[in-house]
Amino acid sequence: MPASETDNLLIRRIQEGEADAWRELIARFEGRLLAFVRSRIPDRATAEDVVQEAFIGLLASLPNYDRRRPLEGYLFSIAAHKLTDQLRRDGRRPRLPSILAGTDGSGSEGPGPARAASSIVRSGERRRLEETAVVAALAGEIEHCRRHAQWQKLQCMELLLVRGWSNKEAARQLQVSEQAVANWKFEFTARLRTCVRNQDLPAEVFPELYENV
Amino acid sequence: MSQPLRTADLEAYLDEALAAEEMARIEQAIRRQPQLVAQLAALCAQRDAGVHSLGAIWRRHRLSCPTREQLGSFLLGALDDGLTGYVGFHLDVIGCRYCQANLADLKNRQVEQLEAAETRRRRYFQSSAGLLRRKC
Repeated sequence: MPASETDNLLIRRIQEGEADAWRELIARFEGRLLAFVRSRIPDRATAEDVVQEAFIGLLASLPNYDRRRPLEGYLFSIAAHKLTDQLRRDGRRPRLPSILAGTDGSGSEGPGPARAASSIVRSGERRRLEETAVVAALAGEIEHCRRHAQWQKLQCMELLLVRGWSNKEAARQLQVSEQAVANWKFEFTARLRTCVRNQDLPAEVFPELYENV
Repeated sequence: MSQPLRTADLEAYLDEALAAEEMARIEQAIRRQPQLVAQLAALCAQRDAGVHSLGAIWRRHRLSCPTREQLGSFLLGALDDGLTGYVGFHLDVIGCRYCQANLADLKNRQVEQLEAAETRRRRYFQSSAGLLRRKC
Protein backbone atom coordinates (compact mmCIF):
# COMPACT_ATOMS: atom_id res chain seq x y z
CA MET A 1 0.00 0.00 0.00
CA PRO A 2 2.05 2.96 -1.20
CA ALA A 3 1.45 6.51 0.06
CA SER A 4 -1.26 8.25 -1.95
CA GLU A 5 -0.97 11.68 -3.50
CA THR A 6 -4.27 12.63 -1.84
CA ASP A 7 -2.86 11.83 1.58
CA ASN A 8 0.33 13.75 0.89
CA LEU A 9 -1.67 16.78 -0.21
CA LEU A 10 -3.77 16.57 2.93
CA ILE A 11 -0.66 16.38 5.10
CA ARG A 12 0.88 19.36 3.28
CA ARG A 13 -2.24 21.43 3.99
CA ILE A 14 -2.15 20.41 7.65
CA GLN A 15 1.52 21.29 7.88
CA GLU A 16 0.57 24.73 6.60
CA GLY A 17 -1.87 25.05 9.47
CA GLU A 18 -5.13 24.60 7.55
CA ALA A 19 -7.83 23.75 10.08
CA ASP A 20 -10.22 22.37 7.43
CA ALA A 21 -7.62 19.87 6.34
CA TRP A 22 -7.16 18.71 9.92
CA ARG A 23 -10.91 18.38 10.31
CA GLU A 24 -11.01 16.35 7.08
CA LEU A 25 -8.26 14.02 8.27
CA ILE A 26 -10.07 13.39 11.55
CA ALA A 27 -13.34 12.68 9.74
CA ARG A 28 -11.62 10.23 7.41
CA PHE A 29 -9.66 8.24 9.92
CA GLU A 30 -11.26 8.45 13.36
CA GLY A 31 -13.79 5.67 12.74
CA ARG A 32 -11.23 3.05 11.76
CA LEU A 33 -8.88 4.10 14.57
CA LEU A 34 -11.69 3.87 17.10
CA ALA A 35 -12.63 0.42 15.81
CA PHE A 36 -8.97 -0.63 16.08
CA VAL A 37 -8.72 0.54 19.69
CA ARG A 38 -12.15 -0.70 20.77
CA SER A 39 -11.31 -4.20 19.68
CA ARG A 40 -8.96 -4.18 22.68
CA ILE A 41 -10.61 -1.63 24.96
CA PRO A 42 -14.38 -2.01 24.80
CA ASP A 43 -14.97 0.96 27.11
CA ARG A 44 -15.95 3.66 24.66
CA ALA A 45 -14.77 6.69 26.62
CA THR A 46 -11.31 5.21 27.25
CA ALA A 47 -11.01 4.12 23.63
CA GLU A 48 -11.94 7.62 22.45
CA ASP A 49 -9.26 9.06 24.73
CA VAL A 50 -6.68 6.79 23.12
CA VAL A 51 -7.75 7.90 19.64
CA GLN A 52 -7.57 11.50 20.76
CA GLU A 53 -3.99 10.91 21.95
CA ALA A 54 -3.19 9.33 18.59
CA PHE A 55 -4.34 12.43 16.70
CA ILE A 56 -2.34 14.66 19.01
CA GLY A 57 0.62 12.34 18.48
CA LEU A 58 0.26 12.67 14.71
CA LEU A 59 0.33 16.45 14.87
CA ALA A 60 3.33 16.41 17.18
CA SER A 61 5.23 14.12 14.82
CA LEU A 62 4.33 15.89 11.56
CA PRO A 63 7.68 17.70 11.23
CA ASN A 64 9.30 14.25 10.87
CA TYR A 65 6.55 12.68 8.74
CA ASP A 66 7.94 10.52 5.93
CA ARG A 67 5.77 11.17 2.88
CA ARG A 68 6.65 7.79 1.39
CA ARG A 69 4.83 6.12 4.25
CA PRO A 70 1.08 5.55 3.81
CA LEU A 71 -0.85 7.83 6.15
CA GLU A 72 -3.25 5.16 7.35
CA GLY A 73 -0.42 2.84 8.34
CA TYR A 74 1.34 5.65 10.13
CA LEU A 75 -1.81 6.54 12.05
CA PHE A 76 -2.39 2.91 13.01
CA SER A 77 1.18 2.66 14.32
CA ILE A 78 0.70 5.78 16.49
CA ALA A 79 -2.65 4.43 17.72
CA ALA A 80 -1.00 1.07 18.51
CA HIS A 81 1.66 2.88 20.50
CA LYS A 82 -0.93 4.86 22.50
CA LEU A 83 -3.02 1.74 22.97
CA THR A 84 0.00 -0.13 24.30
CA ASP A 85 0.59 2.67 26.83
CA GLN A 86 -3.02 2.45 27.97
CA LEU A 87 -2.94 -1.34 28.27
CA ARG A 88 0.24 -1.11 30.34
CA ARG A 89 -1.43 1.40 32.63
CA ASP A 90 -4.33 -1.05 32.98
CA GLY A 91 -1.88 -3.85 33.81
CA ARG A 92 -2.87 -5.89 30.76
CA ARG A 93 0.45 -5.62 28.96
CA PRO A 94 3.71 -6.46 30.72
CA ARG A 95 6.49 -3.94 31.08
CA LEU A 96 9.53 -5.42 29.40
CA PRO A 97 12.91 -5.46 31.16
CA SER A 98 14.66 -2.27 30.09
CA ILE A 99 18.13 -3.83 30.01
CA LEU A 100 17.16 -6.00 27.08
CA ALA A 101 14.58 -3.87 25.41
CA GLY A 102 15.17 -0.36 24.24
CA THR A 103 11.68 -0.25 22.79
CA ASP A 104 8.49 -2.21 23.13
CA GLY A 105 8.20 -2.85 19.48
CA SER A 106 6.15 0.16 18.55
CA GLY A 107 6.41 0.82 14.87
CA SER A 108 9.50 -1.18 14.06
CA GLU A 109 9.87 -4.47 12.32
CA GLY A 110 10.64 -7.74 14.03
CA PRO A 111 13.18 -10.50 14.04
CA GLY A 112 13.13 -13.91 12.50
CA PRO A 113 13.09 -17.06 14.52
CA ALA A 114 16.08 -18.13 16.58
CA ARG A 115 18.37 -15.29 15.67
CA ALA A 116 20.50 -13.85 18.44
CA ALA A 117 20.59 -10.06 18.64
CA SER A 118 24.35 -10.05 18.59
CA SER A 119 24.55 -12.08 15.37
CA ILE A 120 23.42 -9.25 13.12
CA VAL A 121 24.00 -5.67 14.07
CA ARG A 122 23.55 -3.31 11.18
CA SER A 123 23.10 0.37 10.65
CA GLY A 124 19.64 1.87 10.25
CA GLU A 125 20.54 2.87 6.71
CA ARG A 126 21.56 -0.67 5.78
CA ARG A 127 18.36 -2.02 7.26
CA ARG A 128 16.26 0.44 5.28
CA LEU A 129 18.00 -0.62 2.06
CA GLU A 130 17.31 -4.27 2.83
CA GLU A 131 13.71 -3.53 3.66
CA THR A 132 13.13 -1.50 0.52
CA ALA A 133 14.53 -4.31 -1.63
CA VAL A 134 12.44 -6.97 0.08
CA VAL A 135 9.24 -4.91 0.01
CA ALA A 136 9.60 -4.50 -3.76
CA ALA A 137 10.23 -8.22 -4.22
CA LEU A 138 7.38 -9.31 -1.95
CA ALA A 139 4.97 -6.84 -3.52
CA GLY A 140 5.90 -8.18 -6.96
CA GLU A 141 5.24 -11.77 -5.93
CA ILE A 142 1.95 -10.89 -4.24
CA GLU A 143 0.82 -8.97 -7.29
CA HIS A 144 1.77 -11.95 -9.47
CA CYS A 145 -0.48 -14.19 -7.34
CA ARG A 146 -3.35 -11.72 -7.55
CA ARG A 147 -3.05 -11.20 -11.29
CA HIS A 148 -3.15 -14.93 -11.90
CA ALA A 149 -5.86 -15.52 -9.27
CA GLN A 150 -3.50 -17.78 -7.32
CA TRP A 151 -5.42 -17.13 -4.14
CA GLN A 152 -4.50 -20.36 -2.37
CA LYS A 153 -0.83 -19.82 -3.03
CA LEU A 154 -1.10 -16.30 -1.61
CA GLN A 155 -2.98 -17.58 1.44
CA CYS A 156 -0.35 -20.25 1.91
CA MET A 157 2.56 -17.79 1.80
CA GLU A 158 0.79 -15.44 4.17
CA LEU A 159 0.32 -18.28 6.66
CA LEU A 160 3.95 -19.36 6.36
CA LEU A 161 5.65 -15.98 6.38
CA VAL A 162 3.31 -13.65 8.25
CA ARG A 163 1.83 -16.06 10.80
CA GLY A 164 4.83 -18.37 10.98
CA TRP A 165 2.81 -21.56 10.44
CA SER A 166 4.53 -24.78 9.47
CA ASN A 167 4.00 -26.39 6.07
CA LYS A 168 1.91 -29.07 7.74
CA GLU A 169 -0.37 -26.58 9.50
CA ALA A 170 -0.82 -24.53 6.34
CA ALA A 171 -1.65 -27.68 4.34
CA ARG A 172 -4.28 -28.65 6.89
CA GLN A 173 -5.83 -25.17 6.93
CA LEU A 174 -5.96 -24.92 3.14
CA GLN A 175 -6.90 -28.57 2.66
CA VAL A 176 -4.06 -29.21 0.22
CA SER A 177 -1.13 -31.61 0.34
CA GLU A 178 2.11 -30.72 2.09
CA GLN A 179 3.79 -31.20 -1.28
CA ALA A 180 1.62 -28.44 -2.76
CA VAL A 181 2.63 -26.15 0.09
CA ALA A 182 6.30 -26.99 -0.43
CA ASN A 183 6.00 -26.29 -4.16
CA TRP A 184 4.33 -22.91 -3.60
CA LYS A 185 6.92 -22.00 -1.03
CA PHE A 186 9.75 -22.93 -3.36
CA GLU A 187 8.34 -20.90 -6.25
CA PHE A 188 7.57 -17.90 -4.12
CA THR A 189 10.88 -17.77 -2.30
CA ALA A 190 13.03 -18.55 -5.35
CA ARG A 191 12.32 -15.14 -6.83
CA LEU A 192 12.81 -13.47 -3.48
CA ARG A 193 16.17 -15.16 -3.12
CA THR A 194 17.20 -13.90 -6.54
CA CYS A 195 16.23 -10.39 -5.51
CA VAL A 196 18.18 -10.66 -2.26
CA ARG A 197 21.22 -11.90 -4.16
CA ASN A 198 20.93 -9.13 -6.75
CA GLN A 199 20.96 -6.58 -3.97
CA ASP A 200 24.10 -8.19 -2.53
CA LEU A 201 22.27 -8.86 0.71
CA PRO A 202 23.87 -11.64 2.77
CA ALA A 203 21.79 -14.78 3.27
CA GLU A 204 21.83 -14.30 7.04
CA VAL A 205 19.62 -11.21 6.75
CA PHE A 206 16.52 -13.22 5.81
CA PRO A 207 17.22 -16.85 6.75
CA GLU A 208 13.53 -17.69 6.20
CA LEU A 209 14.32 -17.73 2.48
CA TYR A 210 16.74 -20.60 2.89
CA GLU A 211 14.84 -22.78 5.37
CA ASN A 212 13.46 -26.11 4.15
CA VAL A 213 13.68 -25.30 0.45
CA MET B 1 -4.35 -23.72 24.42
CA SER B 2 -5.52 -24.61 20.95
CA GLN B 3 -2.59 -23.15 18.99
CA PRO B 4 1.09 -23.00 19.90
CA LEU B 5 2.64 -19.57 20.45
CA ARG B 6 4.94 -18.86 17.55
CA THR B 7 7.68 -16.25 17.30
CA ALA B 8 5.64 -14.54 14.58
CA ASP B 9 2.72 -14.28 17.04
CA LEU B 10 4.90 -12.63 19.66
CA GLU B 11 6.32 -10.20 17.10
CA ALA B 12 2.81 -9.25 16.03
CA TYR B 13 1.78 -8.97 19.67
CA LEU B 14 4.47 -6.34 20.20
CA ASP B 15 2.98 -4.29 17.37
CA GLU B 16 -0.67 -4.74 18.45
CA ALA B 17 -1.17 -6.35 15.07
CA LEU B 18 -2.96 -9.59 15.92
CA ALA B 19 -6.71 -10.06 16.11
CA ALA B 20 -8.06 -9.09 19.53
CA GLU B 21 -8.79 -12.68 20.57
CA GLU B 22 -5.23 -13.69 19.66
CA MET B 23 -3.87 -10.76 21.66
CA ALA B 24 -5.93 -11.89 24.65
CA ARG B 25 -4.66 -15.45 24.23
CA ILE B 26 -1.06 -14.23 24.41
CA GLU B 27 -1.80 -12.08 27.45
CA GLN B 28 -3.27 -15.10 29.20
CA ALA B 29 -0.20 -17.12 28.27
CA ILE B 30 2.08 -14.40 29.67
CA ARG B 31 0.24 -14.55 32.98
CA ARG B 32 0.72 -18.31 33.10
CA GLN B 33 4.29 -18.34 31.78
CA PRO B 34 6.25 -15.31 33.02
CA GLN B 35 9.26 -16.45 30.99
CA LEU B 36 7.42 -15.15 27.92
CA VAL B 37 8.23 -11.63 29.11
CA ALA B 38 11.92 -12.37 28.72
CA GLN B 39 11.20 -13.80 25.27
CA LEU B 40 9.37 -10.63 24.26
CA ALA B 41 12.19 -8.50 25.61
CA ALA B 42 14.69 -10.54 23.62
CA LEU B 43 12.64 -9.94 20.46
CA CYS B 44 12.75 -6.20 21.13
CA ALA B 45 16.50 -6.37 21.63
CA GLN B 46 16.84 -8.13 18.27
CA ARG B 47 14.87 -5.34 16.65
CA ASP B 48 17.13 -2.78 18.22
CA ALA B 49 20.06 -4.64 16.73
CA GLY B 50 18.54 -4.29 13.27
CA VAL B 51 17.23 -7.81 12.80
CA HIS B 52 14.07 -8.04 10.72
CA SER B 53 11.96 -10.76 9.14
CA LEU B 54 10.06 -11.14 5.90
CA GLY B 55 6.78 -11.68 7.75
CA ALA B 56 7.13 -8.58 9.89
CA ILE B 57 7.97 -6.48 6.82
CA TRP B 58 5.02 -7.96 4.92
CA ARG B 59 2.68 -7.18 7.79
CA ARG B 60 4.04 -3.73 8.55
CA HIS B 61 3.82 -2.61 4.92
CA ARG B 62 0.43 -4.30 4.63
CA LEU B 63 1.50 -5.81 1.35
CA SER B 64 -1.50 -8.08 0.88
CA CYS B 65 -4.19 -6.03 2.60
CA PRO B 66 -7.24 -5.35 0.45
CA THR B 67 -7.94 -1.69 -0.21
CA ARG B 68 -10.69 0.07 1.72
CA GLU B 69 -12.71 0.14 -1.49
CA GLN B 70 -12.35 -3.62 -1.81
CA LEU B 71 -13.45 -4.04 1.81
CA GLY B 72 -16.50 -1.91 1.03
CA SER B 73 -17.29 -4.12 -1.96
CA PHE B 74 -16.73 -7.19 0.23
CA LEU B 75 -19.40 -5.90 2.60
CA LEU B 76 -21.77 -5.41 -0.31
CA GLY B 77 -20.97 -8.85 -1.72
CA ALA B 78 -19.74 -7.24 -4.91
CA LEU B 79 -16.34 -8.92 -5.27
CA ASP B 80 -15.67 -11.94 -7.44
CA ASP B 81 -15.50 -15.32 -5.71
CA GLY B 82 -11.72 -15.59 -5.66
CA LEU B 83 -11.16 -12.18 -4.10
CA THR B 84 -14.08 -12.66 -1.72
CA GLY B 85 -12.49 -15.87 -0.46
CA TYR B 86 -9.13 -14.20 -0.06
CA VAL B 87 -10.48 -11.16 1.80
CA GLY B 88 -12.42 -13.42 4.17
CA PHE B 89 -9.26 -15.44 4.79
CA HIS B 90 -7.18 -12.31 5.40
CA LEU B 91 -9.72 -11.04 7.91
CA ASP B 92 -10.53 -14.27 9.71
CA VAL B 93 -7.53 -16.58 9.44
CA ILE B 94 -4.67 -14.10 9.24
CA GLY B 95 -6.69 -11.87 11.56
CA CYS B 96 -5.40 -8.59 10.16
CA ARG B 97 -6.37 -6.03 12.83
CA TYR B 98 -6.06 -3.07 10.46
CA CYS B 99 -8.43 -4.56 7.91
CA GLN B 100 -10.79 -5.72 10.66
CA ALA B 101 -10.85 -2.14 11.96
CA ASN B 102 -11.55 -0.77 8.49
CA LEU B 103 -14.35 -3.27 7.97
CA ALA B 104 -15.87 -2.48 11.38
CA ASP B 105 -15.70 1.24 10.55
CA LEU B 106 -17.43 0.70 7.22
CA LYS B 107 -20.17 -1.28 8.95
CA ASN B 108 -20.54 1.37 11.65
CA ARG B 109 -20.87 4.11 9.11
CA GLN B 110 -23.91 2.38 7.73
CA VAL B 111 -25.69 2.38 11.06
CA GLU B 112 -24.21 5.08 13.26
CA GLN B 113 -26.09 8.30 13.84
CA LEU B 114 -24.28 11.12 12.08
CA GLU B 115 -24.70 13.28 15.15
CA ALA B 116 -22.69 10.92 17.36
CA ALA B 117 -19.81 10.81 14.89
CA GLU B 118 -19.87 14.61 14.53
CA THR B 119 -19.70 15.09 18.31
CA ARG B 120 -16.71 12.79 18.52
CA ARG B 121 -14.92 14.45 15.62
CA ARG B 122 -15.52 17.90 17.10
CA ARG B 123 -13.95 16.74 20.33
CA TYR B 124 -10.86 15.36 18.57
CA PHE B 125 -10.53 18.56 16.58
CA GLN B 126 -10.89 20.87 19.55
CA SER B 127 -8.38 18.95 21.62
CA SER B 128 -5.72 19.01 18.92
CA ALA B 129 -6.25 22.00 16.60
CA GLY B 130 -4.26 24.26 18.94
CA LEU B 131 -1.17 22.32 17.87
CA LEU B 132 -1.62 23.24 14.20
CA ARG B 133 1.05 25.57 12.91
CA ARG B 134 -0.16 29.13 12.48
CA LYS B 135 -0.40 30.23 8.88
CA CYS B 136 2.25 32.76 7.90
